[in-house]
Amino acid sequence: MKMDEELSVESDVENTWCPGCGNFGILNAVKKAVERLESEGFHRSHLLISAGIGCHGKIFDYLNLSGLYSLHGRETATIQGMKFANPSLKVIAFGGDGNAYGEGLAHLIFAARRNSDITLIVHNNGNYALTTGQKSPTSIKGFKGPSTPDGSVEEPIDPLDVLLSSGAGFISRGYPGKMAHLTELIVEAVKHQGFSLVDVLQPCVTFNDTYEKYNELVEVLEEPAETRKEAVELLEKEESIPIGILYKEKMPVFNEKIYPEKNPMEDRMDEKERFEAVKKILEERR
Amino acid sequence: MKDEDVFTYLIGGKAGEGVKKAGTAATRFFLDLGRESFQMNDYQSLIRGGHNFSVVSTSTREVYSHHMEVDLIVNLDERSRDLHEEHLAKEGIMFYNSNDSGERDQGLGLPLDEMAEEYSKPDLIKGVAGIAVLAACTGMDKKGLEDMIKKEYSRGVEENLSFAKEVYKKVGENIDETFDLKKGKTHSTVITGNESLSLGAAAGGLDIYIGYPMTPASSILHFFATHRDDLNIMSIHPENEIAVANMAVGATVPGARVMVGSSGGGLALMEEAISLAGMTESPILFVLGSRPGPSTGVPTYTEQGDLHFALNQGHGEFPLIVSSPGCIEEAFHLSNMMLDLVWKYQTPGILLTEKHLCESSMSVDIDMKKFEEGVFKTEKADEDQDDYKRYEKTDHGISPLKYPPSDDLIKWNSYEHDEMGYTTEDPDMISEMHDKRREKNETLILDLKNINCVNEFGESTPIIFTYGSTTMSVREALISGDIDAKIVQPLFLNPFPFWELEEYIHEEVIVVEQSSTGQFASLLREKCRVKPKEVIRRYDGRPFEPARLAEKIEEAII
Ligand SMILES: Cc1ncc(C[n+]2csc(CCOP(=O)(O)OP(=O)(O)O)c2C)c(N)n1
Ligand code: SF4
Repeated sequence: MKMDEELSVESDVENTWCPGCGNFGILNAVKKAVERLESEGFHRSHLLISAGIGCHGKIFDYLNLSGLYSLHGRETATIQGMKFANPSLKVIAFGGDGNAYGEGLAHLIFAARRNSDITLIVHNNGNYALTTGQKSPTSIKGFKGPSTPDGSVEEPIDPLDVLLSSGAGFISRGYPGKMAHLTELIVEAVKHQGFSLVDVLQPCVTFNDTYEKYNELVEVLEEPAETRKEAVELLEKEESIPIGILYKEKMPVFNEKIYPEKNPMEDRMDEKERFEAVKKILEERR
Repeated sequence: MKDEDVFTYLIGGKAGEGVKKAGTAATRFFLDLGRESFQMNDYQSLIRGGHNFSVVSTSTREVYSHHMEVDLIVNLDERSRDLHEEHLAKEGIMFYNSNDSGERDQGLGLPLDEMAEEYSKPDLIKGVAGIAVLAACTGMDKKGLEDMIKKEYSRGVEENLSFAKEVYKKVGENIDETFDLKKGKTHSTVITGNESLSLGAAAGGLDIYIGYPMTPASSILHFFATHRDDLNIMSIHPENEIAVANMAVGATVPGARVMVGSSGGGLALMEEAISLAGMTESPILFVLGSRPGPSTGVPTYTEQGDLHFALNQGHGEFPLIVSSPGCIEEAFHLSNMMLDLVWKYQTPGILLTEKHLCESSMSVDIDMKKFEEGVFKTEKADEDQDDYKRYEKTDHGISPLKYPPSDDLIKWNSYEHDEMGYTTEDPDMISEMHDKRREKNETLILDLKNINCVNEFGESTPIIFTYGSTTMSVREALISGDIDAKIVQPLFLNPFPFWELEEYIHEEVIVVEQSSTGQFASLLREKCRVKPKEVIRRYDGRPFEPARLAEKIEEAII
């Protein structure tokens, strides 16, 4: 099937998100961002997506984009594999907070360290929604869910802080309640050469309805922080939740560092060259 | 009994004394004489100290295993001397380090510590003594020794030369006779099993190798990292095996031919992604280099305890191809073919092997011509077909592939999916997709029926079943023990090639394997109803020794 003009076609797949779910906003922002990128000359044939397992992951079916629907927590590993194989493609992975910041956290830290040229959008709803609302790594202490009826006893982690200290070159946070802003963030994240994170404050109307809280507290940042240290300070604010690009730094990307000027899919040897190369190594073993 | 056609050399000492390097140099020396050889490196999981040895058997005929009746032994320390005394053949010569062993009755002492003291790297240089002794004891002239040192020990060559000549002179003064090593006619190359399977995959168009260090698979990762620019193959060492396998799955989407490798512990972490590859139909070749388990087990030794683990990888039902090479040369052919097979069938495959094959080296003669026309072709979608479906149903279960960038929508999915790749929970679609994957397996079996899936060596009875690296041990035992028997070695373990084994149904056979519970024997009972009357097992981490194995086989025959 050819890619449609429409980035998502309701008739293909039934949308099963709860009415009012923050995921709708993310879906819309992604569509708008892709359209924006296309208006600047990019084409969706060169975009691959991946997703983890959870409510957020359903976005894979709802977007008419190519890619691979991955495992719980592995979307960041999967998407890097795609990028390693063909660095001329743009890639976006969608994760939930349980996926990305729990089961798969190590992949994020290392993707940031090696500066893989990927974009990760995390639908951060502070719970494991698809498995009926258990606590997640970003749930507030005291969060009550089916696995913690007396309230979670763990401190939440701040993934932005973790990734800042892992060397990530693009750290941002958005909110579907600010659609144009979120769209802009996604566009910037995809354009950024290197690892980019868009952490999205996603209200889950069923298990963790945070609309009111976020509407009150989010504050659009004018400019990214100058240093990592200042970015961390922004995260420590208690009176507001800053959204926008918190930190941005351009650094060499992984593919270029490990396999300079080569694209494994475009710069293959033909069979004859391959055989010669193998023969040459065998010759050295004589 | 000692095989007179075989000359065996052994060097032993502490880790960090250049033991393996000396073994490799000895192997090359035999190669220069036109002889065949087999080198086995026995080392512990440590960096300094302990006990390591390298043993090389050579002959003018093919040698499939090291022997442990040794003609020439060089012990760099006392522990080695005490351990290897019993391996000395009747007419053999043994040298030992008289500085740390004291003067002994048996063997010839060399003051190796004293002599090495004079040099900048006294520990490392000791290994060079091994080669100087070999040269002196095989009647090589001084010029020959010089050439060899220059070739094999080029780093710090001046010191190495000087030390080697000193040892050479001392040895020459102490021996009356030298070994006469007949020249052979072969002109082969020497590679390890890991090099062989890596080169086989490279010849088969490998684009990316991903690995996380774990013995005995680490050297595959090192090999590809070293030869990145020679072979045009990207190699990646990520955070853990879970990343390894999931990156591999991702890399297949744009069409990269990927291989990954580990030992049992690492493969256990990859297992979820093997199942993912089964569902998404991602073609990935997994190399499983076995070592004694369970758990961390004995990292640097050998065992065949992962057979059932390999055969049962991945939850759910999907086609999984498992094969195991029976010698170092076959590792080249098989990894090459496995890469084509996983791509044709778009499913994961496991190349099961063991430390004994991975890290031993053997002279091989690889004819690249054989690989020119691969038998198994990847099915690609028509470029201008406009209703492309990633999981299109076909009469053989295989859906043609298309790679991005493309105007077609190409969706791969870990959930059960429809032909387009969209998630489904529809009962009809679920069954149809199961049927599709099963049909691939049926087509695969038809395909395998056209190729050789079982190796047979010899014609007479009794019949000996074996597989993997143990095949090398059995072949060598039969040759050197002069035993008439027929070896049957299934190359493919899943799908199991029962069609080639019909003549053995209900036959009484001998089984040889390196497993304590006899996993291979039970597989044979289940899959081709043979009757193992004797299962010869070894499970102390060491490969079989041909002479001892020959005795066991003879006992089993009676
Ligand atoms: C290995 C594995 N463990 C557990 C699950 C079950 N599971 C599915 S979704 C999910 C949690 C998802 O939470 P989150 O990432 O926050 O996504 P959300 O549903 O909130 O969007 C879990 C635990 C799974 N699919 N795989
Ligand atoms: S459970 Fe929460 S996250 Fe899932 S669809 Fe409903 S509102 Fe959205």
